[in-house]
Amino acid sequence: MAQPILGHGSLQPASAAGLASLELDSSLDQYVQICIFKIIVIGNSKVGKTCLTFRFCGGTFPDKTEATIGVDFREKTVEIEGEKIKVQVWDTAGQERFRKSMVEHYYRNVHAVVFVYDVTKMTSFTNLKMWIQECNGHAVPPLVPKVLVGNKCDLREQIQVPSNLALKFADAHNMLLFETSAKDPKESQNVESIFMCLACRLKAQKSLLYRDADRQQGKVQKLEFPREANSKTSCPC
Amino acid sequence: MALRSAQGDGPISSRWDGGAEKADFNNKKKKKVAEIYQALNSDPIDVAALRRMAISEGGLLTDEIRRKVWPRLLNVNTSDPPPLLGKDLRQMSKDYQQVLLDVRRSLRRFPPGMPDEQREGLQEELIDIILLVLERNPQLHYYQGYHDIVVTFLLVVGEKLTTSLVEKLSTHHLRDFMEPTMDNTRHILNYLMPIIDQVNPELHDFMQSAEVGTIFALSWLITWFGHVLSDFRHVVRLYDFFLACHPLMPIYFAAVIVLYREQEVLDCDCDMASVHHLLSQIPQDLPYETLISRAGDLFVQFPPSELAREAAAQQEATRTAASTFKDFELVSAQQRPDMVLRQRFRELLRPEERTKDVLTKPRTNRFVKLAVMGLTVALGAAALAVVKSALEWAPKFQLQLFP
Repeated sequence: MAQPILGHGSLQPASAAGLASLELDSSLDQYVQICIFKIIVIGNSKVGKTCLTFRFCGGTFPDKTEATIGVDFREKTVEIEGEKIKVQVWDTAGQERFRKSMVEHYYRNVHAVVFVYDVTKMTSFTNLKMWIQECNGHAVPPLVPKVLVGNKCDLREQIQVPSNLALKFADAHNMLLFETSAKDPKESQNVESIFMCLACRLKAQKSLLYRDADRQQGKVQKLEFPREANSKTSCPC
Repeated sequence: MALRSAQGDGPISSRWDGGAEKADFNNKKKKKVAEIYQALNSDPIDVAALRRMAISEGGLLTDEIRRKVWPRLLNVNTSDPPPLLGKDLRQMSKDYQQVLLDVRRSLRRFPPGMPDEQREGLQEELIDIILLVLERNPQLHYYQGYHDIVVTFLLVVGEKLTTSLVEKLSTHHLRDFMEPTMDNTRHILNYLMPIIDQVNPELHDFMQSAEVGTIFALSWLITWFGHVLSDFRHVVRLYDFFLACHPLMPIYFAAVIVLYREQEVLDCDCDMASVHHLLSQIPQDLPYETLISRAGDLFVQFPPSELAREAAAQQEATRTAASTFKDFELVSAQQRPDMVLRQRFRELLRPEERTKDVLTKPRTNRFVKLAVMGLTVALGAAALAVVKSALEWAPKFQLQLFP
């Protein structure tokens, strides 16, 4: 399954999120130059969270990834419709014991959540319910956009999670669904479009600006222009 | 005054990692090897001397020596037969799947030139050892990163000894990481910022306003840096140090690394992402001997008991492995175990001593290079500090013991 599968009706909550906070500090105009967009990636152990984030941020598939302990951080600056957006990706540990006390700090102020499962592992899909609970438990507002990513779809022979099942689940939870492979170079465009799609959505709603509004004024100075735009892609959505 | 500016002062420049002459290095090494064997061959074995050797410059020097000394540091009798592997361990264990996932992808922990076949054999041994220790100690819970510690032992002492050593380590130094939840681990991480605050308030305040948290140091702490250092020699050098010290020493070492990188941190954007990103990428060329020495100094200067209040202020204090380090010390010194309880009880009767207010510390850089006490003495002093105050830093623990 090479193409991302777009669940219908899932765009609704994303556009509503931006309306949640409309008090715009005038000093934030500068943020328009470079928006920061914070995504957290969660899901079971060994579903490929680290590889997906590597594929997006570094462009390649790392051949020797190890278990992530705690939280790793990667970022990439992209350009959407002439606007530079810094996408910060927080890659989390999959083991259950890290979720509760360790990862909560990183759920704060996230702009979007990426849920990952392994299409060849049914348990990683059935566990998504628990991950959604986990996410809600960390006070992530229900209107924060969420996407569902089924990884490892290059392993066609071993697929355990049928697309229609995943699509149903995504619809029920108002999420976009993507099936992709961080490993397959032909799929790398799709990996990129997952994050780009979220970036577009957020750019459209500008909620990222408001979410940073409660930050200190002293941080305005850090709005330096990005050194380079790693990617120039038009909005895939 | 930054920590870094103390570098090169006094005795450091003459130390082994400071570019001393090779002949001098070899002489020192020879002398140290002789001292280690002397301690090993004395009757009873001079464990205190071995601890000092493990901490002082160069640590235990070779894997051959480590194979002899690590069991002594952990008070493990090498002549005891190793625990036997149950047949159905892989089928029975609830942790098998997670262990398998983590070990199979831990390729980077093995020497780069090792043939695949040999590495795969070791990985299978690694899985079996982990499952065996977990099975024999049902109170211990596997965590991602535990395999990074076990593999270090496997590569140094071999399969036969690893099980006994890791079992002892897991029920002592690592115990807090292996609780059902990570709450105790988080509590230990809560010591990081108070240590930094003692030495460099400016850096502390910067990190606090960046809201960086302490998770960047999580993998350092729970793998004893085995997960993040690519040169195995550095890893085993640190293991020498940590095996000889208080269970909280790795968090002091983490603090020392952050302090060492003061300027880089302060040059960073003051936000969580930038600072987390910087700190989680650990430099591979750290001056380990210098940093070990500083961690020892800091431990003596700001022992856990002094920081407990601030750490607990970040989170409620709970019982951790550090509270039983004293038992461990005393047992390995062949004292009567009930002495621990007696002493605890005596100390319990004097609770007013715990009321010293450490929150009124001056807002200046308080790190002092302990030139006289120095690295080799840190252990002795640290052990003394522990015996004196391990109880103070976990007040709740006493209540549990004496309801």
